[in-house]
Amino acid sequence: MQSSEVISINIWQIIISLLNLLILFLIFKKLLFAPVKKVLADRQKLIDDKFDDAEKARQSADEAKKNYEAKLSAADDEAQSIIKTAKAKAQKKSNKIVGSAKEKADDIIRQAKTDAELEKKKAQGDVRHEITEVSALLAEKLLEREINTADHRNYIDSFIDKIGENNDASS
Amino acid sequence: MKEKSLSFRIADVLLLAGFLLPFVFGIMLYILLEPASEGIEIAGAKIYFTLHMPMPMQDLPITESQVNSWLVIVALLFLCLFLTHGLSAKHPTRRQHAAEWIVEKTENLVSGNMGDYFSGFAPFVAAIMGLSAFSSLLTLIGLYPPTSDLNVVAGWAVLVFILITYYKMKCGPVHYLKSFGDPVPFLAPLNIISEFATPVSMAFRHYGNVLSGSVISVLVAVGLQGVTHMILGKLPGFLGQFPFLQIGIPAILSIYFDIFSGCLQAFIFAMLTMLYISTGFPEDDYKEKLRKKKSKQN
Repeated sequence: MQSSEVISINIWQIIISLLNLLILFLIFKKLLFAPVKKVLADRQKLIDDKFDDAEKARQSADEAKKNYEAKLSAADDEAQSIIKTAKAKAQKKSNKIVGSAKEKADDIIRQAKTDAELEKKKAQGDVRHEITEVSALLAEKLLEREINTADHRNYIDSFIDKIGENNDASS
Repeated sequence: MKEKSLSFRIADVLLLAGFLLPFVFGIMLYILLEPASEGIEIAGAKIYFTLHMPMPMQDLPITESQVNSWLVIVALLFLCLFLTHGLSAKHPTRRQHAAEWIVEKTENLVSGNMGDYFSGFAPFVAAIMGLSAFSSLLTLIGLYPPTSDLNVVAGWAVLVFILITYYKMKCGPVHYLKSFGDPVPFLAPLNIISEFATPVSMAFRHYGNVLSGSVISVLVAVGLQGVTHMILGKLPGFLGQFPFLQIGIPAILSIYFDIFSGCLQAFIFAMLTMLYISTGFPEDDYKEKLRKKKSKQN
């Protein structure tokens, strides 16, 4: 088979080669660069959309957070005021209860005191009576004779009273 | 990641086959049409057939360089289809990453070297690189590299020259003609020569590098054959014929001349294209002109 010269110029071959390069340029442009660039643009758009979405979500979250914070602080205040009023109420009630209890106790003590006083007086009366009886009996035995009980009793009573007075003064 | 459907896989396989089959076809053509060569020769592309043109015009021989160029174009077409098959914005595959890498790197290179005005040149630069690199790399599978044919590279250089001139003409033919008298009018002849030297130098640089690689490879192979014969020639039988020096050494040369030089020349050609087009374009004057036009309209 024939070979061409190592260095030969052929205008047709030059034109063919020129057109070859042009055709390959078009192939690259239409089949490689156009689709790849389209995909890259799509991806860029996708990323931008994602970023926008994220930004929106962040904003709404911020808003919700602010809302919650406001609500929370309001609730805090409310709770504080509720506690305050409750405390005041409880204080009042306790004061009232304590006061009434004190009064009651005082009443009881007073009653007890008067009761004791009465008892004491009663006992004193009883003892005096007994002593009078006994001493009258004793004197009857001693004198071996009936004395006027009534006179005698008056006498002894006055005597015991004197002793009691002396005792009170010394004590 | 979702499982791919059967039809997707079949299309994948078909596209890959479309990428690989042109090379297989090229090898078949080479084997079927190539007569067993007599020794080593340095020759141009094989002529498959010749289209005869009317007399004043040259005949058109369809040679290996044209056929191999077409094979490369078909392969690259299917490669593009394969890379862009099943693109998705949400779930990029490894293949998509590769496609995006190619596109983004080329665009960065172009906008970095040429400015944003020329960002549309990215596919053109990618086409130059792809065509040149794949053409040169055809030597790896034993095919004739179209880039070692002057006509092929000259065609590209002419296209680049047309683009350079087109962008220089953007400010009108008067501005274009004036640019030759820059910086001093009597340098105009030199400017004109350098204008035409641009495509010529580009074409010859690329073609010369690839061709010289092939030539040196052939010469080294022949030389190694001679040396082996000298050393082992006295031995009897098969040992005397054993090509022990030809093992390995040509491969190292091939790494340099076929792979490194081929890719480097593709890159250089693309870089020069970008630089010549962007430096030739009088951007400031053009913007000035656009502004004047706008103010006139208003």
